[in-house]
Amino acid sequence: MSFDQPVIRLENVTQRFRVIHERPDTVRELFSRFFRHNASFHDFEAVKNVSLEIPRGQTLGIIGRNGSGKSTLLKIMAGVYKPSNGTVEVNGTLAPLIELGAGFHHELTGRENIILNGLLMGYSKREMLERQQSIIDFADVGEFIDAPVKQYSSGMYMRLAFAVATEVDPQILLVDEILAVGDVGFQEKCFDKLRRFRNSGKTIILVTHNMDNVRQHCERVVLIDHGSILVDGTPDEAVSVFNNLMNVEVVAAH
Amino acid sequence: MKELFVDSYQYRELIWALALKELKIRYKRSVLGFMWALLNPAFMMLVLTLVFSTIMRFPIPHYAIFLLSVLLPWTFFSQTLSYAVEAIVTNGDLIKKVAVPKLVFPMAAVVSNIINLLLSLIPLMILVPLMHHPFYWTWLYLPVPVLALVIFTTGLTFFFAAANVYYRDVSHILQVVLSAWFYVTPIIYSIDMMPAHFKWIFKLNPIIYVINGFRLSVYYGQLPKYPSILASFACAFISLFIGFSLFKKYQETFVYYV
Repeated sequence: MSFDQPVIRLENVTQRFRVIHERPDTVRELFSRFFRHNASFHDFEAVKNVSLEIPRGQTLGIIGRNGSGKSTLLKIMAGVYKPSNGTVEVNGTLAPLIELGAGFHHELTGRENIILNGLLMGYSKREMLERQQSIIDFADVGEFIDAPVKQYSSGMYMRLAFAVATEVDPQILLVDEILAVGDVGFQEKCFDKLRRFRNSGKTIILVTHNMDNVRQHCERVVLIDHGSILVDGTPDEAVSVFNNLMNVEVVAAH
Repeated sequence: MKELFVDSYQYRELIWALALKELKIRYKRSVLGFMWALLNPAFMMLVLTLVFSTIMRFPIPHYAIFLLSVLLPWTFFSQTLSYAVEAIVTNGDLIKKVAVPKLVFPMAAVVSNIINLLLSLIPLMILVPLMHHPFYWTWLYLPVPVLALVIFTTGLTFFFAAANVYYRDVSHILQVVLSAWFYVTPIIYSIDMMPAHFKWIFKLNPIIYVINGFRLSVYYGQLPKYPSILASFACAFISLFIGFSLFKKYQETFVYYV
């Protein structure tokens, strides 16, 4: 992989969703709808014609209002959605932290979940066994590692999930608003980890509502509004436009 | 079709882990644990043997063996489908958050049920000598019908798991289909009991070729004839081809419907 080649390249990406207004719940409704031929859905473009190149080693922030398409964009990068139009290119291993512990099963122990979660992310069992100890150390859940994760406190649960996602040493880290949870100690530990990630030349994409985080950690920020890129620039530029956007909204509300 | 083998191989560890997870959870918090995988079919066999050797007498010697030789593969077939029809829907949360090939979920359902099928053959091996039924060397042939059965079931599994994403009615329809299918398949009776001019209707049922090998080798001590073996694998691969093609065609849109 050359250094000039972007690790993620989106080209004219559009993501269309079909919004189904109301499912016919009864047979009678189904028939009446069938005979009246009325459409019960509309198409909605969550991401519109977005092109974005993320070079290796960059820490990119994605900000925007609720429902602006940030998370959809992240899920497109993660490969969860296949975009309706456009192309997505990802070079390198990628760890999606879209929701911590998404692959955890409540009845399985922490140790078992480490393996299962790793396999879900595409790593081999051997690779996961090699990293098991460092994951357990970071998660710091003590003897609970051999208990089913349903007995974990929410903090322990998140620490384990964060540890699994980051200790596998991915080249690209996608983080969706997860750092808002957890106590200060855990957050500090996570940011420390992210900092080390940055310093080792890895790419981080951070979706957040916290403008302090954006200013502190990101070198480039993309502001998304109504599914399109409004600003692509320095944190200060993007944040100031975003604040104006929010102010307009607040004024309009009054 | 290539994708099926490439992805299954690449994600074999995940499929295996998901299958074991299923079994683990099924027997979790029970005192006997994994033993239930053996005890369940053993008790079922005990009940059937008692019923058919004392209460309901069929003019078929060692009726329990006659029945179980195809009831066990049928149970595999119906349990796999009943369970796997929900494979994509129940893993919906995961599919929405992690990019993972969707086929691992139906495959894991098939694998966990294969383990159950193989375990259920153990009590049958004990029952055969207990009932003074000869233990035929044709048991060695069983891997062949097992293979055909697994391929056949996997194909339908893909079909039903995909269809259920769009229409949740499918899982209900499946239960009706399975119970009707059970009675039109010579499981509790023999196809020879049917009037000759009806037999051709039974021959339209694809699963009879697949399970025929089980009864022949375990109960009759015979091997199926070549046309029958060929028919069983033809049915199996047609099922797999259609099932997986449809699954593959629609898998990208599962994420919007789960």
